[in-house]
Amino acid sequence: MNSIIITRVLRLLILIVLQVLVFNNIHLFGYITPLVIGYMVVCFHRNTSQTEILIWGFVTGLLFDLFSNTAGMGAASCTLIAMIQPYWLNLLAPRDSADDFTPTITTMGFWNYILYVIQQMVVLHGCFYLLDAFTLSDWFLTLLSIAGGSVLSTLIILFIELLIRGRKNITTH
Amino acid sequence: MRALIDLIVHNKHWFVFLLLEVISLVFLFSYNGYQKSVYFTTANDVVGSTYNVISGITSYLHLQEVNNELEATNEELRKEVYAMRQQLEAIQQDSTKRPQALPLRYEVLPAQVVNMTLHKATNFITINKGEADGIRPEMGVVCSRGVVGIVYMTSRHYSIVMPLLNVNSKISCRLRGSDYFGSLVWQRGYADIAYVTSVPRHAPVKKKAIVETNGYSDIFPPGLPIGVVQKIGDSPDGMSYFLRVKLFTNFPTLREVSVITNYHSSERRLLEEMAEDPARQDSVLNAQEKQKELEEKKNNLSPDTIR
Repeated sequence: MNSIIITRVLRLLILIVLQVLVFNNIHLFGYITPLVIGYMVVCFHRNTSQTEILIWGFVTGLLFDLFSNTAGMGAASCTLIAMIQPYWLNLLAPRDSADDFTPTITTMGFWNYILYVIQQMVVLHGCFYLLDAFTLSDWFLTLLSIAGGSVLSTLIILFIELLIRGRKNITTH
Repeated sequence: MRALIDLIVHNKHWFVFLLLEVISLVFLFSYNGYQKSVYFTTANDVVGSTYNVISGITSYLHLQEVNNELEATNEELRKEVYAMRQQLEAIQQDSTKRPQALPLRYEVLPAQVVNMTLHKATNFITINKGEADGIRPEMGVVCSRGVVGIVYMTSRHYSIVMPLLNVNSKISCRLRGSDYFGSLVWQRGYADIAYVTSVPRHAPVKKKAIVETNGYSDIFPPGLPIGVVQKIGDSPDGMSYFLRVKLFTNFPTLREVSVITNYHSSERRLLEEMAEDPARQDSVLNAQEKQKELEEKKNNLSPDTIR
């Protein structure tokens, strides 16, 4: 139990540092900025209490907001994906998986994992950039930021997963 | 009752979700309220000092460019000193000749940028000087190339500047050499392009004309360069020009800025406060009434004297 909390705190700190120092400074084509903090929510195993995921998501978003002058935007978006995560994970988990199944690239398979992550990222970026723009007048730019940011963050998260899990154990079916 | 409690316990994550979302949105909306949010932004001392350390490290990467800019500024200042000296000599020689107007006086306080966003709709810059150094909201911020923005809010040691690159920023400006003025606004997208609106159609506008501050707003002294006209277009209603302006300030590499700390403001504010003072208004009104009475008396008297 304690080791889980320590892992989560460490993961949170590392993700915040990476996000603030590295990813916040990426502005691909001037408008694509990945929000890799979403990885925090993606990692929760099945049957984690929903309240717990929500609170972790909220704290992640809040820390991100503190460092990037986006009061409330990150927190609202992260809480939203924390709400959706369990339902979506249930939908995409393999049939014979355990109750406390952890979503990783090795346990879910390559394509399922991508599907799982990109959905979370689209919701996260969608919520974040809509709150940021707060208007639909330049909807095309907002749409580009959302699409670009989601794809880029998914790629970064895949890269992180590959780094952590190693390339050997991946099944692509 | 029991069923209700069961329902709440069973679905408690929905309530937690709603609660957290409401908290987030409260943060989001109270962010626009003025000093309330100082503690929740990069003006916060803990976050600010973290950024100070980070920018201390990254500043080395930009040293070359900063040096070039300083060199250019030095050169300009040297020229100016030379010109001024000549003027001074001319004035001293001829004692009957007087300077036509009082010279503009303003003092600047140098500061460093510690954090900045460029690619959102509402961008902000954090600088490492605050109330303790005499900075107050609504002071102007400039750099060696041109105008940067206006101080938005302050904490003890840090301030947040609303740069030109903010959809809410609106700065009064004019075209150099003419008295037609407009306002400079920004649209989300490019970090070096802004737009001048409401310049009347009959104003002579040319490409490459320089856009500068006009002294109306009391934040910037007149004549500070902002940018150069790149494209001349029409506003949607066709009543005025819509000019695309390339900004002089290079925001992505901005590091050294200066805050204009005492340009006229205190004197003007004092005057305006005095004007709003009801006691004073009463006394002025009384004086006006007395004046009227006197005039009426005079009017009544004057026909007699003529006769």
